[in-house]
Amino acid sequence: MSAARPAPAASARRGSTGARLLGALAVLVALVWIFPIYWMVNSAFLPTNALRRPEPTFLPFGGTLSNFTNVFRDPGFFDAIKVSLAVTGITLAVAILFAFLGALAISRFRFRGRKSFIVTILVVQMIPAEGLFISQYHMLDTWGLVNAVLGLTIVYVAAILPFTVWMLRGFVAGVPMELEEAGMMDGLSRTGAFFRITFPLLAPGLVASGVYGFLQAWNEYTLALVVMTDPGQRTLPLWLQGLVEANKATDWGVVMAGATLISVPVIVFFLVVQKRMSAGLVSGAVKG
Amino acid sequence: MTRVRTSGLAAVGVGLMVALAACGGGSETEAGGDEELRLWLAGTDTPQELRDYLVETFEAQNEGAQLVIEEQDWSGLVPRLQTALASEQQTPDLVEIGNTQSPTFTHAGAFTDITDMVDGLGGDQLLEGFVEAGTVDGDVYAVPYYSGARAVFYRKDLFEAAGVEVPKTLEEFGEAAVALQQANPTGAPNFSGLWLPGQDWYNGIAWIYSNGGSLAEQDGDEWVGALSSPESQEGLAQVQELFANATSAPKDADSAEPWVPFNNGEAAMFSAPTWARWSIDLPECNKGVATDDESEEAKALLAEQQACNEEKTGIFPLPGPAAGEPATVFAGGSNIAIPAKSGNQDLARNLLEIIFSEEYQTMLAENGLIPGNSEYADALGDDVYAEAALDAALNAKLTPPAEKWADVEGARILEDFFQEIASGADLEEASARADQLITDTLN
Amino acid sequence: MSAPRTSSSTVLPPVPPRAPIVAPAAPEAAVRRPPRRRPIRARLGPYLLLVPALIPIAVGLGYPLVRQFVLSFQEYGLAQQFGQPAEWVGLRNYAELLSDPYVWGVIARSIAFCLVNAALTMAVGIALAVLMTRVGRAARITLQVGLLLAWGTPVLATMTVWQWLFDSQYGVINWLLAEPLGAEGMRQHSWIIEPASFYFVATVIVVWMSVPFVVFTVYAGLLQVPEECMEAAQLDGANAWQRLRYLSLPMVKPVLLVVGLLQVIWDLRVFTQIYVLQRAGAPTRETHLLGTFIYSLSKEFSLAGAMATIMLVITLALTVFYIRRMLRDDV
Repeated sequence: MSAARPAPAASARRGSTGARLLGALAVLVALVWIFPIYWMVNSAFLPTNALRRPEPTFLPFGGTLSNFTNVFRDPGFFDAIKVSLAVTGITLAVAILFAFLGALAISRFRFRGRKSFIVTILVVQMIPAEGLFISQYHMLDTWGLVNAVLGLTIVYVAAILPFTVWMLRGFVAGVPMELEEAGMMDGLSRTGAFFRITFPLLAPGLVASGVYGFLQAWNEYTLALVVMTDPGQRTLPLWLQGLVEANKATDWGVVMAGATLISVPVIVFFLVVQKRMSAGLVSGAVKG
Repeated sequence: MTRVRTSGLAAVGVGLMVALAACGGGSETEAGGDEELRLWLAGTDTPQELRDYLVETFEAQNEGAQLVIEEQDWSGLVPRLQTALASEQQTPDLVEIGNTQSPTFTHAGAFTDITDMVDGLGGDQLLEGFVEAGTVDGDVYAVPYYSGARAVFYRKDLFEAAGVEVPKTLEEFGEAAVALQQANPTGAPNFSGLWLPGQDWYNGIAWIYSNGGSLAEQDGDEWVGALSSPESQEGLAQVQELFANATSAPKDADSAEPWVPFNNGEAAMFSAPTWARWSIDLPECNKGVATDDESEEAKALLAEQQACNEEKTGIFPLPGPAAGEPATVFAGGSNIAIPAKSGNQDLARNLLEIIFSEEYQTMLAENGLIPGNSEYADALGDDVYAEAALDAALNAKLTPPAEKWADVEGARILEDFFQEIASGADLEEASARADQLITDTLN
Repeated sequence: MSAPRTSSSTVLPPVPPRAPIVAPAAPEAAVRRPPRRRPIRARLGPYLLLVPALIPIAVGLGYPLVRQFVLSFQEYGLAQQFGQPAEWVGLRNYAELLSDPYVWGVIARSIAFCLVNAALTMAVGIALAVLMTRVGRAARITLQVGLLLAWGTPVLATMTVWQWLFDSQYGVINWLLAEPLGAEGMRQHSWIIEPASFYFVATVIVVWMSVPFVVFTVYAGLLQVPEECMEAAQLDGANAWQRLRYLSLPMVKPVLLVVGLLQVIWDLRVFTQIYVLQRAGAPTRETHLLGTFIYSLSKEFSLAGAMATIMLVITLALTVFYIRRMLRDDV
């Protein structure tokens, strides 16, 4: 999608001092934004007794890899990766599919209850989630879905769907019907036209919604805490919290190494989809 | 084997979700059936050796039954108990619970009445305050698992440099802290005679208790905040003096990790549970062993390092108002109870008996925990750490056994209150406000 | 097989398919659907498509929400969970909360915090998005990567680091202020002990976490302002600021509205950042916002439920302008 961005008109007129100053400003802002992340990674390479000293250690020279070794020696880490990948993967797949169908309904059809539905999914996002976990637990318990990937997934899907439907609705509406109609004239069925023509155009939107869903499911803590009580069923955030308490005196270097490792998949996911996202986010939002 | 629990769920897209869940690491399996007993232990305090002992002994004594121990983090324990204890399917069969959380769940009816077992488990020898925390209307629902008390760690060389002796009374302790602060033997810009952060009520209430005060008193059916009582006020005045003249610790920090400034040469004393000895790591003793190094050489170096640290560090129980007796400090620790919804009541009772056997209680003590049955506390040993722990613990006191005490902690009323004291607030006014909040919360 | 392929490749403009979709699509959408009667199957269609999304929302959110709402009229605490009958108390929970001046204080603080944070996030986000359109590729990518990292790293980890940065004793921020900058008084400065200062720190963190979403969205929007308009405006003598103020911003207004609305919703329910900072040593009672306050009530489910309902009403009140507009335009 990178080519989708028309080169800004200003590009030809760059090179002035003003532009260089602005460039420097942008880099400076970037450094400010990166600093906390840098500090996390820096800490991951330092022994714990070097972390909280009167003189901060800004560079991990003479650092250590033992924090990472300790993380990799923890079998709980790999268990948690499996559970987190399963929960995040299923949540993403299901939420995106369902949201896509829902978005299709409200952007391609007029029907009774449409407005109420749109308002409902907006209002649902306003509900404070902190007080809901008791009822959600109660519900999963009745179905025997506590300590099960499926149970956690159901509540995650429910939590992510409203935003995703809302976002995807804009993308679907944004693809002109004419494209599909042209496809149908060329002999495609309605469904065929949709999947061959419209669907590929929605990729950025699906990716953008996917990023949101990925972050939500990957980082969620409160619900996972009560639903996944079996130590073998911990998600990564639960595992990380467990690492904080693994010793009476927290080994912060190891915790930071763990956090760095948890961030890696997120950042990789980001860098891969980053370009599509910029385009995807906005077309959805404009329709919003 | 890898079937995910789906009973009763005849809903949406289950096909897809189940398929994905089944291949995606959802390893929930039903093994063993009813004869599986689940014990929830909180945090890492119970060493592996003791866990193994429980499993082996229990399974040997109960043919066909299986004991599964699940460790729960302290930080998430309350929300988990709140949900799981109310579920017949999910409830553990025996559960460790923090002593300050114990009254709330006991009053809510979460636990089984085990009054009939108390005599067999140790009777009067059980740690008294802990039993009280598990008792409603004379019936016992939770019994003490272990206790740990706080003692004071100090740097011997800094005491010497400042010309300070190990204090014999609470008053001397205050003077020593102020003297150390003024002497500042290490020259650190933020030196503290005693590391006492603003929200550290765990340590601060020792002064209230030692002067005969308390946090809240029962008055008929009601609980009333007692920080304004003359005894509490006397203790709080001493704490405020310490905040003002004996510490440079931040006012916006709590009792976490007091050894950090100690190791950095920024504090001469700190008060903590005795296991804090393993976190003392003075730079002059550090051998630079990597934490992932498991070689024999590394182990030897670490032992040397620990010996060096303990050589330079001393420990004593916080002294009381009169010479020769320790202060009344705050007792940390936990209770153990059988959840009312557990379907394995008899097996749970069997396990409880194993926990209160002489052998297991002795093992707790040998691992530095004061066992629930004080009769076996002698097994703690007689090194300075054990002695300081025992002296402090035998005189220690818990938070009030009020039904809603956990709400007081949840609302962080005492953290806020001690922070106000540390910031130089008017004692009487701050205490009256805090008392009101405590009273409102408890009733 | 070959026919569809050719058709799609001819119908689809090679690249960029995005640009035309954004702005001009709106009027098209309005004309597109003629109000003719459709056969039954077509009328059922949308409902069938909605069902998969509706059921999880109804089950996973709707049911707990309704239950929470019902409980808010009962006395329901921990004891009721263990089998004691729940008593109906009518509006007592609401009366109790709304008659407490402290609760009104929390509500007022939350609204103020939410508006300030949403406004700041939007301002910084828009500024950075505009900045991105004016710098070279290298600078832009650097900034993008920085923002991506801030957005994508698990909150648990970033919150711990922020806590360290603002730590009184060993915080890097105090060290930087005291050592290289010579502000000796900041050496042991307590950042979170005063509510005002606490909210400042919380705002820094919340803005840090929220800005990336805004930047990426608005930047993409700005890119899609048609080139011709910009050039025409430039020929008419509009300077850069005027082009931004009177051309670009109005054209991305729909984006700004949506993003702004989301910020208001999210900032009003802010929880994690406040919770973690409170635990780091802030005075709790003076720093509660709605999210943490509800959480602190969670052993009294009925009270927490009542508070959640009140909060929903507040959110609706804050966003009613947008919702009405949305319904009127029927996007």
